[in-house]
Amino acid sequence: MADKNHPEEGEQQVEIWKIKRLIKGLEAARGNGTSMISLIMPPKDQVARVQKMLGDEFGTASNIKNRVNRQSVLGAITSAQQRLKLYNKVPPNGLVVYTGTVLTDDGKERKVNIDFEPFKPINTSLYLCDNKFHTEALNELLEADNKYGFIVMDGNGSLFGTLSGNTREVMHKFSVELPKKHGRGGQSALRFARLRMEKRHNYVRKVAETAVQFFITNDRPNVAGLVLAGSADFKTELSQSDMFDQRLQAVVLSVVDVSYGGENGFNQAIELSSDTLANVKFVQEKRLISKFFDEISQDTGKYVSGVSDTLACLEMGAVETLIVWEDLQVNRYELMNSTSGEKEVKVLTKDQQADTSHFKDKESGADLEVVETVSLLEWLANGYKKFGCTLEFVTNKSQEGNQFCRGFGGIGGLLRYAVDPTQFEPDPDDFEEKSWNSSDSDI
Amino acid sequence: MADPPDTDGVSEAVAKQLKVSDPGAESASSSHSAAQQQAAQPNGRPAPPDVEEDEEEEDLSSREAELRRIYEELSKEDSREHMNVVFIGHVDAGKSTTGGQILYLTGGVDKRTIEKYEREAKDKNRESWYMAYIMDTNEEERAKGKTVEVGRAAFTTAKKRYTILDAPGHKNYVPNMIAGAAQADVGVLIISARKGEFETGFERGGQTREHAQLAKTLGVSKLIVAVNKMDDPSITETSGKWSKARYDEIVSGLTPFLRSCGYNVKKDLLFVPMSGLIGHNVKDRVSKDVCEWWTGETLFSLLDGADPLPRDPLAPFRMSVIDKFKDMGTIAMGKSESGIVRKNDRLYVMPNKVPVTVATIYRDDVEVAAAKGGENLRLRLTGIDEEEMQPGFVICARHLPVPCVTHFYAQLQVLDLLEHKPLISGGYKAILHVHSLVEECEITDLRGQMNPKTGEIKKNVRFVKSNSIVVVRIAVEKLICIEEFDKVQQLGRFTLRDEGRTIAIGKITRVPKSRKEAAPESK
Repeated sequence: MADKNHPEEGEQQVEIWKIKRLIKGLEAARGNGTSMISLIMPPKDQVARVQKMLGDEFGTASNIKNRVNRQSVLGAITSAQQRLKLYNKVPPNGLVVYTGTVLTDDGKERKVNIDFEPFKPINTSLYLCDNKFHTEALNELLEADNKYGFIVMDGNGSLFGTLSGNTREVMHKFSVELPKKHGRGGQSALRFARLRMEKRHNYVRKVAETAVQFFITNDRPNVAGLVLAGSADFKTELSQSDMFDQRLQAVVLSVVDVSYGGENGFNQAIELSSDTLANVKFVQEKRLISKFFDEISQDTGKYVSGVSDTLACLEMGAVETLIVWEDLQVNRYELMNSTSGEKEVKVLTKDQQADTSHFKDKESGADLEVVETVSLLEWLANGYKKFGCTLEFVTNKSQEGNQFCRGFGGIGGLLRYAVDPTQFEPDPDDFEEKSWNSSDSDI
Repeated sequence: MADPPDTDGVSEAVAKQLKVSDPGAESASSSHSAAQQQAAQPNGRPAPPDVEEDEEEEDLSSREAELRRIYEELSKEDSREHMNVVFIGHVDAGKSTTGGQILYLTGGVDKRTIEKYEREAKDKNRESWYMAYIMDTNEEERAKGKTVEVGRAAFTTAKKRYTILDAPGHKNYVPNMIAGAAQADVGVLIISARKGEFETGFERGGQTREHAQLAKTLGVSKLIVAVNKMDDPSITETSGKWSKARYDEIVSGLTPFLRSCGYNVKKDLLFVPMSGLIGHNVKDRVSKDVCEWWTGETLFSLLDGADPLPRDPLAPFRMSVIDKFKDMGTIAMGKSESGIVRKNDRLYVMPNKVPVTVATIYRDDVEVAAAKGGENLRLRLTGIDEEEMQPGFVICARHLPVPCVTHFYAQLQVLDLLEHKPLISGGYKAILHVHSLVEECEITDLRGQMNPKTGEIKKNVRFVKSNSIVVVRIAVEKLICIEEFDKVQQLGRFTLRDEGRTIAIGKITRVPKSRKEAAPESK
C-alpha cells in the first residue's frame, strides 16, 4: 500500500497491475504451430549467450518441414534477436521477451513483440517455443512472498484456505454430520455419549490429516503461518491434539474465535488476525476500503464514488487516494465530430458501448469519429500522477472489496477536502444504476 | 397425555389409515383424500415418485372438510395446547438451571438422578450446577458449565403441554440460540439479579440485549422476564429476604430497552422474580418468609396464561427440518409451522423436491396418527435417504409446495453495524438465518430506503448506515425454502449476522415467481 512515506511502493503497485494486465493478454493469445517464443533471462545472465542460443535455434528451425510453420518460427526468432540487440546487457531485474504471431479474434495474424524488465528480480531461465506464451514465471512474481494458511473448523464442517498477497483462496471444504446433543430413541445415554465422542474424535483426526495434506509439501510447511479458527472447542482441541502435525503446530500464529464456519468464518478469521497479518496486501486492501467506508459513515464529505463524480474530483485535484477495482470494465473514448472538429471525451461501460447513440452527435445525428479508445484503468495508471493522487487497485475478493465493487461502482476516492456531491448533476444514466441494476431480470 | 387408543376419534382415524395401507382391502371410506391415497398406493408400497398429477386434481373443498374433521378430532383428543418455550439470557443467568428445576418440579426427573447429578457436580466443585446437568447432557457442557447446543425437554401442566428449549447464552453460540428461538412461541428471558451480572448482561455486546432483540424478530411475541437468583446473598436483605429494591431496579432498567425492541410493555411483557436453583416462584408461589412483597404470579401460571399465535389448520403443511437421523427409516425432526400432517400423507422434501410418504408421526416421543401446527414432531419418512436431507430443508404439502429460490426481496431493519464495516451497500455479505436454515448470503442491491416516520421510500440509495430501514434484494448460493412473511410468518422472517454480531433483521416481502431454479442473473 502506498503511504506517503513509500511512494515507490505505490509505483510498484501500478507496475504489478500492468504486468497482470499483460499476462492476461498474453495468456489469451494463441498462435500457429510452435511459433510463439517465451524468453526469460535472469539477472546477471549474458545477452551474448542468449543471442548465440537463438542463433543455434534459428539453424535448427530452418529444418522444419512445414513451410508456414518454419517461416513463422524463423520470423519469431529473428524478432527476438532484434529485440535483444536493443540491450547491451541484461537489466538488473532480468529480462522478459515475448515474440510471435498471434491469431486475433477475427482470424487475422498480428505480430507481437514485447520486452520488458520485471519490477523485481526474476529468478527463472526460460526459452520455449509453443503455440502459446508461457507466463507461469511472471505469475510467480506477482505472488507475495508470504502465504498464510487458515483452518476454519466448526461443528458442521471445515474449510482450508490460504491468503497470499491480495488473493484469498479456498483450497478445500468438507462438511460433517456430528450427532447433536439429543439422542435418538433406543440408545442408552452412555452409549450415545460414547458414539458422539468417537465421531468428534474422528472429525478432529480427519481435519488434522487433511491439514497435513494441504499445508505440508516436501516434509515442510508450505505456508508462513497458520491460523486456526472456529466456533466452540474444536479449534483448541485440534491445536492441542497429538494428531495435529508437529511441523504445523510450530507455525500456528494464532487461534481465533469465529462465530461461523465456512466462508464467513474465513473472512472473520482474516479480520481477527489482521494484526498478525498486517503486511499482507489483502488486509491492507480491507483497511483501505474500510477507511473509505468510515468517511462515508461519518459524513465527512471527503469521499467520492462513481465514475463521473470521481473523474470530476480528479480534475479538481481533490482526490488524495484513488481506489479502483482492478477489473473495472470501463473504457475511455476520445471522440471527434468530423464536421465541426469538436472533441469530446466519454467514459462508457460495456453496456453503454453497445448503445450507438453515444457515438452520435446529439444535434446533427452525425457519427462521431473515435480518435482513441483506451481502458479507463490504463488511462488512470498512466496518468494518475498528473492529478496528484496515489492510485490503489483493489480486488473484489475481500468482503469489503466486493461491497465496494458492487455498491459503489468499483471506483472511488478519498479526498483532501470535502466536496459537495450535489454539485455534480445526477446523471440520469449514471453508470452504477445501469450496470448493476441491469442484472435484475424479474423487476 | 392421552394415548391414541384411549380416544375414539383417533382410533377411528388409525383404523382408517390401516385400511388404506392394507394391500387387498377396498377403501370403504367416502373421504376423497383417503381414497385417493389408496389409489396412489395400490399395494401399500411407497408411491412411485412420478405419480403426482392426481394430487393436483384433488378437490380442495373436500380436502378442507377432511382437514377440519381431523383438526376437531385432534382437539377433542387433547385440548391442551402445545407451546414451545425458549429460555434465553446472558451466560450464567441460570437458563439451564431453571429448565432443570422445572423438569424436577413436574416430575420429569426422579430424585435418584438428581442425587447422582448432585454428587457429580460436587466432584467438580460446582455444587450449584447440578440442576443444569438435567439440561446439559454433554460432557463438554458439564465440564465448563456452558450450554452449547439447544437443550430440549417436555413437561405438561394441567392447562398446556410445553417443550422447553434451553438456548445457550454464550456469545459464540448465538447461531444455536437462533435455531432454538426460531421454534419458540413464548420466550422466557432469564436475568441474573446477582450484583454485576445483570449489568454485564445488559451492556452493549451483552447477550441479554442481543437475545431479547433476536427473540422478538424470531417470532417470540410474548416475553416473560424472569429475574433469577433473587436468593443470592449479594443482593438479599440482611435478613435473607429478597430485595424489592433490586427487583424494581432491574425491571425499570429493562423496560425501556425492551420497549425499543418492539415489545408492547403492557401486553407482551410479564415480569416475575424467582430462584431457579431453589425453585421459589417457579411452580409454587414463594413463601412469605422469603419474600413478602411479591403477590403476583409464578412462572408456571404466567406460562399457562400466555397464548401462542393462532395457527390456520387448513393451511398447507410446512415443517422445517432441524435434525435428522436414521432409525428404521429416515426420521426428520422439526416443528410443524402450519397445517396438519397425517400418517400416510404424501409430502415433498424441499428444495430437492423428493417425494416422501409419512410412515410414522411422533409427537414428543408419543406416536400419533395426525398432528396439528405448532407441534414438535418427528416424522419417519419413506422414499428418502438420510443423506438427501439436511437441516434447513422444509417438508411440505404436495399441492402447494413451499417456494424454493436463490434470491428474494425483503424489508430489512438495520441494527448496529460492525465498526470496520459501517455501511450496508450492494455486495455486503453476511450470514442469513431463516427458520432452521443458516446460509451465506449477499445483499445484491438496495431497492430503497424507508423513512420510519413517514413511511416514504427513497429510491436510488447507494448505501445505508446503522439503524435504518431499507428494502433489499438478497441472493444466496443454494436453493433455499422460504415463504413471504404475510403467508407463513415463521418461514418469512430472518436475521442477518456478520462476524458474530446481529446486524439486521428483516421480513421477506416478495419471493420471485419462477420458483424453479430462479437464477438471479438470467434474463
